[in-house]
Amino acid sequence: MKKLNRLSMIIMALAMTGSAFAADKVTFQLDWLPGGDKAPVYVGIQEGFFAALDLEVKIASGRGSTDAVTKLATGQSDVGSSDIGALMAARAQDNVPVSAVMSYFTEAPHAFYVLADSGINSIKDLQGKKIATSPFTSSNAFLPLVLKQNNVPVDSIKLSKVDPGALGPMLMVGNTQAIIAWVTNTALFEQQAAQTGKEIKVLPWSEGGLSLYSSALLASDKFLASRPDVAKRFIKAYAKSIQFTYQHPDKAGQDLHKMVPEVDADIVAAQITSIHNLVFNKISQHDGFGMLTPKRIAATWKYVAEANNLSLDSLDPETVVNRAFIPSHD
Amino acid sequence: MNQSPVPKRTALQWLSKQGYRFAPALFFISLIILWELICRLGQVPQYILPSPSAIVEAFFNVEFSRWMTHLWATLRVALMGFGLSILISLPLSIGMIRSELLNRTLYPALIVIQSTPVVAVAPLIIVLMGTDDPSRVLITCLITFFPLVVSTTTGMLETPPELIELSQSLRAPRYRETWQIRIPYAIPHIFSGLRVSITLAIIGAVVAEFVAAEQGLGYFIQFSTSFFKIPQAFAGLIFLSAISLLLFKSVQWLQLWLFPWSLPKKK
Repeated sequence: MKKLNRLSMIIMALAMTGSAFAADKVTFQLDWLPGGDKAPVYVGIQEGFFAALDLEVKIASGRGSTDAVTKLATGQSDVGSSDIGALMAARAQDNVPVSAVMSYFTEAPHAFYVLADSGINSIKDLQGKKIATSPFTSSNAFLPLVLKQNNVPVDSIKLSKVDPGALGPMLMVGNTQAIIAWVTNTALFEQQAAQTGKEIKVLPWSEGGLSLYSSALLASDKFLASRPDVAKRFIKAYAKSIQFTYQHPDKAGQDLHKMVPEVDADIVAAQITSIHNLVFNKISQHDGFGMLTPKRIAATWKYVAEANNLSLDSLDPETVVNRAFIPSHD
Repeated sequence: MNQSPVPKRTALQWLSKQGYRFAPALFFISLIILWELICRLGQVPQYILPSPSAIVEAFFNVEFSRWMTHLWATLRVALMGFGLSILISLPLSIGMIRSELLNRTLYPALIVIQSTPVVAVAPLIIVLMGTDDPSRVLITCLITFFPLVVSTTTGMLETPPELIELSQSLRAPRYRETWQIRIPYAIPHIFSGLRVSITLAIIGAVVAEFVAAEQGLGYFIQFSTSFFKIPQAFAGLIFLSAISLLLFKSVQWLQLWLFPWSLPKKK
């Protein structure tokens, strides 16, 4: 009996030491493949921001915003970055157990790209032009709205949907006069244009009147309810990682390259620099970094509802947000 | 003694023999040279059509260990899916041969599964089963098992009826009829099915990687394309095709090693 007691004490002691040293595991869901805008989570791991708060983060790549929201809703991931508009649309149609906990892009990343010598200088000049886009981008839903805001009749443009990889080449060889892509691609398109001795011009939709939240930190409601302390620590470390990423784009590029060797560190650094304004801008200065204000949430929902043909009262946009975890909220 | 025409003829014969022997390789090499020339002389940008030399360069720019990591991720899923489809197909075919009821019940279901585009179902499988290996193996299995069922069943049905009648008249048990008569007759068909399935297994693994993966050659190609690294994507594609070809040949070698009698006799 004594032996048995001693054995059980040893087992208990081992189990306790185990739990004392085991970091809390968190699965982070990306909405696409690794790239510059996805760098913060890699930076958090490489710079030890997560480990410092006793967190072990695993990253899962995604295939679009809807895919990321689905994986969060089904509990395959705990927290992730995705378009808040996709979450709103999903919540309006189904009670998806996912909430937005912190803003990331406070401006829309959608943009038109044209050749510098095309004579197209603003969105207004796109009337009657050929435009190519990829089939599943969230930009497509907002296209009619941005065209309307710039007095371009939607039926005046000739829209074609092609594989994302074909967009750049189509623009460079003149098969289309404009393409639609996120501003995160600027560095890559510039590289392609340079190969043919051409220059490109970016026409961001945020400058064309489309003012809304875009990429945000989302979390599964189950994760927030069952492990609130872990969630709080994660979001705190993630916010620190975002700050570090945009302050040190070169280091962030190296951190991402260390974990995903196929990615060039300098391309990532260029991508981060090109999207700095989506994260740190007048809105983040005015409202505070990471905040999700009721006014802008309502404005975002208005755009999302219109873009997805949903009635405004099909969702109270405030129910999508959980502000209890924003670091500066403490 | 005038022997001069003889060596001339043998030299010509030798040349034509070598030409015949190396015709596929020569054709392939000429194609690559033509491709390189078109890219260089036409100054085709790399993102439209990379030249073979740019593809080779891109191949060597990626560390060998990375290639091996991606290769292992794809190969693991492809072989597990292939193995699973063998484990499912053979008993299923035997069951369908032996029971008309089973045949009537399952065959329509198999046709439905086969005619459902797996690419469309793959995201649902990932959502239901998670993003780890099991879902990718199932996607691969769904693509590979049908040709195996069809070829195995066809093979077993082609057994000469007189042999079956003979075994029945000798009161041989059903399992002996299956293992000693039907299966040997079906071997050439089974291996035809295996050859088709093994290449489909690679396609299945790539489809699964397109939907959810952090590693693998399919993921690598998709990733390279998203960064507009077209020569690198081509390098991945060619590597993938080479692996697929190697697996195809491996099935042939396996057949030659285990069942040499089942191969068609060379003239």
